[in-house]
Amino acid sequence: MNTSAFVAGNGWLYRFDPRAKILLMVLLCIFFFLPITLLGLFLSVLLVIAVGWRNTGTKNIKGVFLSIAPMLLFMLLFSPFNVRSGEPLWRIGAVTIITVEGALQALRLACRFIGITYVCTLLFATTVMGEIMLALRFWRLPYKAALVVTLSFTYIPFIAESFSQIAESHRLREAALEERKNYIQRLKDLVPTLTSVLVVALRSIPNLAMSLEMRGLGRSERRTSYRSLDSYTRLFTDFVISITIVTMLWLIFKA
Amino acid sequence: MQHNKNALKIAVTAVLTAVVVVFTMIVRIPTAKGYLNLCDVAICFIAFTFGPTSAFIAAGLGTALADLISGYAQWAPISFAVHGLEGLLIALIVRSRNGSEASIVKKILAGIVCMATVSLGYFALSALFISTVAVAAAEIPGNLAQSAVGFVLGLGVSSAVKRAYPPVRSLSW
Repeated sequence: MNTSAFVAGNGWLYRFDPRAKILLMVLLCIFFFLPITLLGLFLSVLLVIAVGWRNTGTKNIKGVFLSIAPMLLFMLLFSPFNVRSGEPLWRIGAVTIITVEGALQALRLACRFIGITYVCTLLFATTVMGEIMLALRFWRLPYKAALVVTLSFTYIPFIAESFSQIAESHRLREAALEERKNYIQRLKDLVPTLTSVLVVALRSIPNLAMSLEMRGLGRSERRTSYRSLDSYTRLFTDFVISITIVTMLWLIFKA
Repeated sequence: MQHNKNALKIAVTAVLTAVVVVFTMIVRIPTAKGYLNLCDVAICFIAFTFGPTSAFIAAGLGTALADLISGYAQWAPISFAVHGLEGLLIALIVRSRNGSEASIVKKILAGIVCMATVSLGYFALSALFISTVAVAAAEIPGNLAQSAVGFVLGLGVSSAVKRAYPPVRSLSW
């Protein structure tokens, strides 16, 4: 099981400070909801995709698009019918099926959805999880919350591996019966597997709690601390770039 | 198991969050706007066994992290809100002061609340922020089925875990 969305690369987005990248992501998501022209929205989304393609490659951009393609199709097929006002685009007899406004609204929603998806995905594709956590700490994420997320990431592979092994051994015990089972029986058979996985996971809690105590959690004199993001030396410049990009887009494309 | 309370709380929350992530990611049935999964099993188990605070944090954080890892980052805030609320409400309904088993009426009510929270929560938030009313409505049956199956399995798993690993009661806070 893959526990990271990071795609290795060395484009400029990878060198962009994660703290500024989070700000840029939030600002762009807000920008997509602002009153801007449809052409402006379309071009902004195209720009985000182009930046993503330049930094993370065709495979990643294609993969993201394929993951949202079914929903986009739904959106483009059904959204136009919701808007009844405006000039008719398609009529059958006296009944208006789709209006121009409806079609434009569907396009706007689809563009916004693609934009938000790529903006969010690019943050995680170009930044390793550890640096995202450090950047979130900079944005005042509480120490304990950051610790919980970091610890979770270390436990995900262990629990996933246990899940696979336990599921495999349960399946081997009943290999001959497997084909004859209906859907409900298969669901019922999941209970022992899930129970075993949970017990394995729960047994690790006391050890983890003890390790945290040993490392001085909750004491005034800390024995461990998070490393810093000092390797990124252009924090101020990247903040300025983030704010400038969104402000420029807003000034050019506002409706 | 006499641990520093803070260390235990963090350990419990971290491991339960990881459990929710794994349950969300390991079984996936693709749908129009994402995928159906077993996250509700883990959430119901946590709500029944560990109480409202653990359920809210682990359910919200776990599903949000699973969305981030799986490339559905745009759903992460919605998953955090909906599943966090789902865990919190179920735990509040089935919680008992003397540690006894919740009554059948409470369990049924928790099941209804679980299904309503997931289906209506995703419908409202995705219609408002990500897609449209029509597209969000198309996902209601899938979400209802997922949460119903998740609730029933979660109930079964919860009592099985309490029998198989009795110290689990000492881990809740």
